[in-house]
Amino acid sequence: MFPYLSVLIWLPIAAGIAVLLLGDKNVAAGRWLALAASVATLLVSLPLMLHFNSGTADFQFTEKVDWITRFHSYYALGVDGIAMPLVVLTAFITIPVIIAAWTVIESRPAQYYAAFLIMEGLMIGVFSATDALLFYFFWEAMLIPMFLIIGIWGGPRRVYATIKFFLYTFLGSVFMLVALIYMYVKAGDYAIAKFQSLPLTLVEQRYIFIAFFLAFAVKVPMFPVHTWLPDAHVEAPTGGSVILAAIMLKMGGYGFLRFNLPITPDASRELDLFIIALSLIAVVYIGFVALVQQDMKKLIAYSSIAHMGFVTLGAFIVYQIVRNTGGLQGAGMGMDGAMVQMISHGLVSGALFLCVGVLYDRVHSRQISDYGGVINKMPIFAAFMVLFALANTGLPGTSGFVGEFLVIIASFKASFWYSLLAAVTLILGAAYTLWLVKRVIFGPVANAKVEHLTDLNGREFGILAVLAVAVLLVGCWPAPLLKVMQPTIHHLVDQAVASKIPV
Amino acid sequence: MPETIMTWQTLAPAISEIWLVAAICIILLVDAFAGQTRRGLTPTLTLIVLAVGAALTAAYSNVDHRTVLFDGMYIADGLAYTLKLFSYLFVAFGLLYSRDYLEERGILRGEYYVLALTALLGIFVLVSAGSMLTVYIGVELLALSVYAMTAFDRDSGVAAESAMKYFVLGAIGSGALLYGMSMIYGMTGTLDLDLIAQRLHGTPNLGVTIGLVFVVVAVAFKLGAVPFHMWLPDVYQGAPTSVTLFIGTAPKIAYFALTLRLLAHGLGGVVVQWTQMLGALAVLTLVVGNVVAIVQTNLKRMLAYSTISNVGFIVLGFTAGTPDGYTAALYYTLIYILVALGSFGVILIASRKGFEADHLDHYKGLYKRDPMLALAMMMLMFSTAGVPPFVGFWAKLRIFQALWETNHFWLVVISAAMSVVGAFYYLRVIKLMYFDAPPAVYPPPQHSAAVRAALGLNALAVLVLGVLPAPLLDLCSRLIH
Amino acid sequence: MNLTHLVLIPLLPLVGAILAGLLGRVIGRVGAHTVTILAVAISCALSFQVLKQIYLDGVPAFDGPVYSWLVSDGIQFDVGFLIDRLSAMMMVVVTFVSLCVHVYTIGYMSDDPGYQRFFSYISLFTFSMLMLVMSNNFMQLFFGWEAVGVVSYLLIGFWYTKPSAIFANFKAFLVNRVGDFGFVLGIAGVFYFTNSVNYADAFAAAPKIAGAMLPLTSSTSVHAMTLICICLFIGAMGKSAQVPLHVWLPDSMEGPTPISALIHAATMVTAGIFMVSRMSPLFEQSEAALSFVLVIGATTAFFMGLLGIVNNDIKRVIAYSTLSQLGYMVTALGVSAYSAGMFHLMTHAFFKALLFLAAGSVIIGMHHEQDMRKMGGLAKYMPITAITSWIGSLALIGTPFFAGFYSKDTIIDAVGESHRWGHTYAYWCVLGGVFVTALYSFRLVFMTFHGPERFRQVAAGHGQETAVTPAAPAVSAAAGVHAAHGADSHAHDDNHAPAAAAHDHGVHDDHGHHGPVEPHESPLVVTGPLIALAIPSLLIGFLTVGPVLFGGYFGDSIRVLEQNDVVGELGKEFQSPTMMALDSFKHPTLYLAAAGVFFAWLFFLKKPQWADAWARALAPIRNLLLNKYYFDWFNEKILSTFARGLGFTLWKAGDQVLIDGALVNGSAATVGWLGSIVRRVQSGYLYSYAFWMVIGLAVMLGWFLVR
Repeated sequence: MFPYLSVLIWLPIAAGIAVLLLGDKNVAAGRWLALAASVATLLVSLPLMLHFNSGTADFQFTEKVDWITRFHSYYALGVDGIAMPLVVLTAFITIPVIIAAWTVIESRPAQYYAAFLIMEGLMIGVFSATDALLFYFFWEAMLIPMFLIIGIWGGPRRVYATIKFFLYTFLGSVFMLVALIYMYVKAGDYAIAKFQSLPLTLVEQRYIFIAFFLAFAVKVPMFPVHTWLPDAHVEAPTGGSVILAAIMLKMGGYGFLRFNLPITPDASRELDLFIIALSLIAVVYIGFVALVQQDMKKLIAYSSIAHMGFVTLGAFIVYQIVRNTGGLQGAGMGMDGAMVQMISHGLVSGALFLCVGVLYDRVHSRQISDYGGVINKMPIFAAFMVLFALANTGLPGTSGFVGEFLVIIASFKASFWYSLLAAVTLILGAAYTLWLVKRVIFGPVANAKVEHLTDLNGREFGILAVLAVAVLLVGCWPAPLLKVMQPTIHHLVDQAVASKIPV
Repeated sequence: MPETIMTWQTLAPAISEIWLVAAICIILLVDAFAGQTRRGLTPTLTLIVLAVGAALTAAYSNVDHRTVLFDGMYIADGLAYTLKLFSYLFVAFGLLYSRDYLEERGILRGEYYVLALTALLGIFVLVSAGSMLTVYIGVELLALSVYAMTAFDRDSGVAAESAMKYFVLGAIGSGALLYGMSMIYGMTGTLDLDLIAQRLHGTPNLGVTIGLVFVVVAVAFKLGAVPFHMWLPDVYQGAPTSVTLFIGTAPKIAYFALTLRLLAHGLGGVVVQWTQMLGALAVLTLVVGNVVAIVQTNLKRMLAYSTISNVGFIVLGFTAGTPDGYTAALYYTLIYILVALGSFGVILIASRKGFEADHLDHYKGLYKRDPMLALAMMMLMFSTAGVPPFVGFWAKLRIFQALWETNHFWLVVISAAMSVVGAFYYLRVIKLMYFDAPPAVYPPPQHSAAVRAALGLNALAVLVLGVLPAPLLDLCSRLIH
Repeated sequence: MNLTHLVLIPLLPLVGAILAGLLGRVIGRVGAHTVTILAVAISCALSFQVLKQIYLDGVPAFDGPVYSWLVSDGIQFDVGFLIDRLSAMMMVVVTFVSLCVHVYTIGYMSDDPGYQRFFSYISLFTFSMLMLVMSNNFMQLFFGWEAVGVVSYLLIGFWYTKPSAIFANFKAFLVNRVGDFGFVLGIAGVFYFTNSVNYADAFAAAPKIAGAMLPLTSSTSVHAMTLICICLFIGAMGKSAQVPLHVWLPDSMEGPTPISALIHAATMVTAGIFMVSRMSPLFEQSEAALSFVLVIGATTAFFMGLLGIVNNDIKRVIAYSTLSQLGYMVTALGVSAYSAGMFHLMTHAFFKALLFLAAGSVIIGMHHEQDMRKMGGLAKYMPITAITSWIGSLALIGTPFFAGFYSKDTIIDAVGESHRWGHTYAYWCVLGGVFVTALYSFRLVFMTFHGPERFRQVAAGHGQETAVTPAAPAVSAAAGVHAAHGADSHAHDDNHAPAAAAHDHGVHDDHGHHGPVEPHESPLVVTGPLIALAIPSLLIGFLTVGPVLFGGYFGDSIRVLEQNDVVGELGKEFQSPTMMALDSFKHPTLYLAAAGVFFAWLFFLKKPQWADAWARALAPIRNLLLNKYYFDWFNEKILSTFARGLGFTLWKAGDQVLIDGALVNGSAATVGWLGSIVRRVQSGYLYSYAFWMVIGLAVMLGWFLVR
C-alpha cells in the first residue's frame, strides 16, 4: 500500500533541501515551493484521518525496512490513535507558519522556509516512528533546525536562548538514549513494542523512568525544567514560537504516553505523586508567574506551561484513581483529556503567537505597555485575538475547554484536591489572559504607533480564520477526535496498570 | 614454527610496506633533482603513489585468513588490510587539503611528503605488528617522522618549541613502552604477541603488573589520555595546521592498532587489570578534555582538547574489554578521524597567506563569507557533538552499547553527561559562524575547486554515514570478531 | 413538541447573532435589527407554544440528546434538552424580555456605531441563555453558564474605550470565574458518584450520594452532598451576585442600559436561582448546604439593599435593588421554597426589566445624565416613563395586587414558616429588606420624577453639585462626578457613545456653556417595551400566583422533601389572590413598605435637609455604605495586590534566581570555572608536563602494587 508516512516525512525534507538549493536569489520561487510542499504534506496526511481504523489500538499505515540489521533496528513507521492526530496537527500547523513568514522574513528567507520544512518532516518522523532508535534519531535531529531558527532569526538575546534550549533538551535526551540502549541490550531489539513487553525489575524501571522523565519533562516543559521555554519563545521568530508551542511541547506529552506509562508502569505507579505534584505546581505557580509578565510572548509562553500541566496531570492520575476508587473509570478520561489538551493547545497557543506576530510585525514591540486600544484600529484582528484569548481561558465551545474539563472531572476521581488545584486555572487563566486583552486590545488608543496600525491583510486573515474554525470545531464537536483515540487510550490504560516486574 | 621461504606468495601480503619503501626512495630522488624546478611534482607524485599503493594493497594483501610472516613479526589479516586502506585514504585527503596551505607559507617541499610517507610506513608496520619488536619499530618510525613534521616550518619558533616538547615527552613515552615490554618479555620469555597471549593469564605476578602499568602509560601517552596528554594541546596548536591535521588523523589508526594488538590481543590474559587502569584514565580524560575545551579561545587548541575527550571515548571502548568494545573503539576511531580530517581541513581552507584562521573569532559570520565552508563545519561540529543525523551519534551510541553490555553503569552516565558538556563548545563554533556578524575587513576565501570538492565530500560522508550507518558498523564488527 | 421544534428555539437567535455579527457591514443597521428581532420573536413564539403544550396540553416533559458531544472512557457527553415546566417557564421569560429589549435597543442605540455588534451580542446572549435553561446535563449547563458570562463580558465592555467599562467587564468575568471554579468542582463531584453528567442520573443517585462521605485527607472526610451542593452554589453566587461575589454587578452598569435590563436584571443573574431550583433534588439532601444558601441569600437581601439608599447613580440604585431582590430569591431557595424563588424570579424579571428600561428612557431624556441629583420633576416631561416607573416601583416594593407582592410576600412567609438553621436571622433580614426596598425605590422615584427640576441648576456645572445637596459627602459627589464624566468621557472619545452623536448640545449642557434643555419623552420604540412590561408587572402575579405557586405548576420538575415543604404549608392557607392581598393588611410587611415610602417622601421630597441631618448624624454608617462595606477596596487593594506580588516573587525568586540563576547558569558557570582552574595545569613548561606524566605513572603503579 502507499507509504503515506514516509512521504509525510521525506516530502517536506526534500522540499526543504530544494528550497535551500534555490537560495535567496529567487525568493518567490522558494516561497511558493515551500507553501506547495506544506500544503501537499497536509493533503497526504488527510488519508491518515479518513482511512484510519478507529476500531483497533494497533499501529496503522505501518512500514518496515531494514536499517541497522545488526542492532535489529528498522526503519519502522506507524501511527495509532495518539500519534495520528499529532501527525495531522503537525502537517496542519506548518502551513500557517510558512504563510506567516511570507513578507516578514527578509534575511535568508530560503533557509527559513527550508528549516521549517525539514523540521516538519523530522517532527512527523518523531510521531510516527515505531522503532526506538529511529524515534531518537528524529527526536534529536529536530533540535538542529530549531537551534538555527532561534539563533539566526531570533531577537536580541537569541544566542543565550537557543543555546539554553539546545543544551536543556540535549541533556534530557542523552539520558533517554542511555535508557533505550540499556533496554536494547536486554531485549536485543529496538522496537518500542518490544520495550513495552519487556519485563523489568522495579529498580531498573525507576532508572529508566527517570531517564525518560528527564527527556520528556524538559520538552513538555514541566516545572522546574521549564525556564528554557520563556526565553526560547521570546527570542524565537513568530514561526519558531508557533512550532515550539504547537508541536514541540507535545512531544513531551507524547513521550510520557508512549514510553513512561507502558514501559515503566510500576515505576510510574511509584512516582506518580511526584509527576502530579509537578503538574499542579505548573498550573498554579506558573499561573501566578504568567500574571505579572510584561512581554506578550513570555506571558503566552508561561500560559503554555500551565496548560501543559494538564497533560501530565491527566496522564498520571490513573494510579491515584485506582487507589481512591478501586476502579479504572476515569483513567481513560484523564488521558483523553491530556490528548485533547495537547491538540487544543497546539491550535490555540499557535494562534495566539501568530496574533502577537501580527502586532509585532507592525509595531516591532512585544511589550504590553506599548499597546492599548488596538481594537480601535484593528477591529477584525481584535475579534480574533479575543476569541483565541477566550479559548485560552478554556471557554466552553472552544477547544480549550474540552481537555481541561475532562482532566478536572477525571482528577476528582483521584482526589478532591487535585481537581481543586487544577480548577484554579479557571481563575488564573482568565486573569492573565483577559488582563492581557484588556491592556492590549481594549481601551482608548494608547500611542501614536497604535494610532497608525492597519488591520489584518488577506493573508493574515486567512490564517487566523482557519485556526478559529478549527478551535471552534474541536470545541463544539470533539467526538470524532475522541473516537479515534479511544482504543489506543484504552490499551494504554491497560498497559499502565499491568505490572511488568518479572516473577 | 616452520622455516618460512621468501617467495612472492609469502611476501605479497606485505606489498603495501614494500611499495611504500620503494616509493619513498623514488620520491626522494625525484624531488632532489626536479623538486626545485617543478614545485607541483612531488605532491602530485605522492598522491599517485598513495593511489597505486592502495590499489596494490587491495589487489594482493587482501588475505582471506590471518597470515603470519617473518617468524610472527608481521601479521596480515582483514583488520590490517582495511586499516591500511583507510590510512591511504585519510593521508591522501590530508595532503590534498594541506597543499595550498604549505605553498602559501613557502614550506611546500619534498621532504614534507617524504616524511608523511615514512609516517604512513610506521603506521602500516604498527598495524601489522605481530611482535613487540615490530610494535616498537612502528611506534618509533611513526613518532620520529611526526616530530620532524612538527618542526617543519623552520622559521616558526612556536613550531620548534612544540616539536621539542613532543620529542622529549615522546622519548619518555617510548621509554615507558620499552621498559614495560622488557618486563613482560622477562616474565614470558617471548616477544611474540601470540605466544604472550598464550602464556599470560590469571592474576599477573608483580613483574607483569609493573610491565603492564608501563605499557598502559605508553599507550595512554600515544593516544593522549589524561594525565599523559600534556603534549597534545601544545603540539596541535604549535605545529603548522597541515601537520596538526596529519597528526590528528591517520596516526590515530596506528595507536588504535597499538592498543588492540598489544593490550587486547597480547595481554588479553590480564584484561581485568588493564581495563581497570583504562577505565580510570578514560573518566579523567573525558572530564579534563571537555571541561578545559570550554575555556579555549583558539580553535586548534579547542580541537586538541576535543581530541582528548574523543580519545576518552575510544579508551572507554577498550575499557569494556570485549570484542564488541574493541569494535566500538575501532568504529569511533574511524569516525573521529573522518571528522577531524574535515574540521582541520576547514581551518586550512579558511587560512590565507600570512593569516592563520586558528582563532575562534576568525569564524565570526563565516556563513556570510563562505556558506559552503560554514555548512561543512556545522555538519562536522554537530557530528562530533553526537547529534543525529550525523555519524558522530552512532559512534557514541556504539560506545554506550558496549559499556551497557558489560554493565558499566557509572561510565555510561559520566560519559553521557560529558557529551552534553562537550556539545556546548561545538555549538559555540556554530554560533560564531551563523549567529554573529562578520568582522568588517576579512580576506575573501579562495581555494581550488578540487580541495573544496574534497571537503564537501568529507562533510557529505559525515551525513550519509549518519543516515545509513549499517555498512560501516558491520564492517567494523566483522573485522574484530 | 418535537426535537427540531426545540432546536429552533436557541438556534434562531444564534443564526441571527452570526448574521448580524459577521455580515453586519453587509446587511446594515436595519438588516441587523430586523433579522435578530425576527429570530428572537419566532423563538419567543415557539417558547410560548412549548409552555402551552407542557402546561395546558399536558405533554410529557422532553428529555433527550440533540447530538453526542463526545464519548470518553465509555461515558457519553451529550448536548441535550430537558424541557419541563421549569425550563419552559424560563424559556418564556428569557425570550420575552429579550424580545422587548431587542425592540427597545432600536431606540436606545440608534446613534451608536456599534449598532450591529450590539444586536449580534444580545442575540448571542439569548442563544446562550436558552442553552443554559434548556440543558439536560451539567456539561451543557456549564457551557451556557460560561457563554452568558462571556457575552456579558463583551456587553459590559461594549464601549471599550471607556476605562471604567473595560475594568468593569474584566472584573465581572473574573468574579464569575471564581464562581465557576466552584461550579466545575461541583460538577466533578456529581460525576465522581454517578459517572455521568446527565441530570437524570444525578437526581436518581441523589439519595445514594446523600449517604456518602468524601475523604478530604487520610483522616478527615466530609458529607459528600454538602460539599457538592456548596460547590454548585458557589457557582450560583458568582452568577447571581451573592455576597461576597456580588461586587461585579454594580460595576456592570457601565454597559448600555438595555443589557442592564436583559442580562443584569431579568435573565442572566437569575441563572443561579434557576440552577439551584433545577438541582433541588440534590440540595434537598443537604440541610447544611441549604442553611448556607439561606444565610448568604438573607445577607445579600438586606445589606445590599441598604447600599441603594446612599447611591445617586440611577442605574446603580436599581442594580443594588437587583442584588437585594436576588437575595430574596436565594433566601427562598434556602428554605426549600424553590417555587417561590422561581416565582419571584419571573415577576422580578418583568418589573426589574421595566425599571431599568425606564431608567434608560430617563437617561436618554437627560442626555446620558445618570446622576439623580441632577434630575427631578421629570414626570411632567416624560409621563409614560414616569407612570411605568411608578408601576415598576410599586411592584418592586410589594404593593398588594402588584406582581411583586405575591412573590415577595410568599418568600417572607415561607422564611417565617421554615425551621432551618439560620431562619431567624434570615427572617429579620427579609423583613427589614421590605422597608429598605421601599425607601430606596421611592427615593429614586421622587428624586427623579418629582420635586424641583434640578437639571436647571446643574446647568451651571458640576461646581454647584454640593450646593444642590449640601450634605452629600465628597465621596458621593465624586461618584456623581465620575458618573457624569463616565458619560461625557465616552462622549468625547471617538464618539462611540450615543451622547456625542445624538445630543451634542446636551453634552455641552453638562458643562454649563449655555442654557438648560428640556428633557423629552422617548420615542415609541422605547416607551412601547415599557408598556409591554408594565402590564405583566401589574398583573402577572395576580394571575399566576394561584397556579404557579400553590397549584403545583412545577410538578416534579422541582422536588421538595415532605418535611421541608414550606410552600405547601402556605398553600393550605391560600384561598385566592384577592384574599391573599387583603390578608396582607394583617401583616407587618405591608406597613413596613408603607413606612419606607413615607420616609422616602419625607426625606427626599418634603424635607431634604432632614435627610442631610440624618446623614451627618449617621456619618460612620453612611461612609461604610458609601464604600460598599469595603469589598472593592479589599479585592483591589489586598487580593489583587497580593496575587501580583506573589506572581512577581515566584517569577523573580523562583524562576530567575533559583532555577535559572543557581541551577542552570550556575552549573554552566561552575563548569567554566572548573575549566579555568584545570587549564592552569597546562603551564607550557616541559618539565611540568614530564612531572605530571611521572606522577600519573607513580600513582598507577602505587595503586596496582599496593592492592
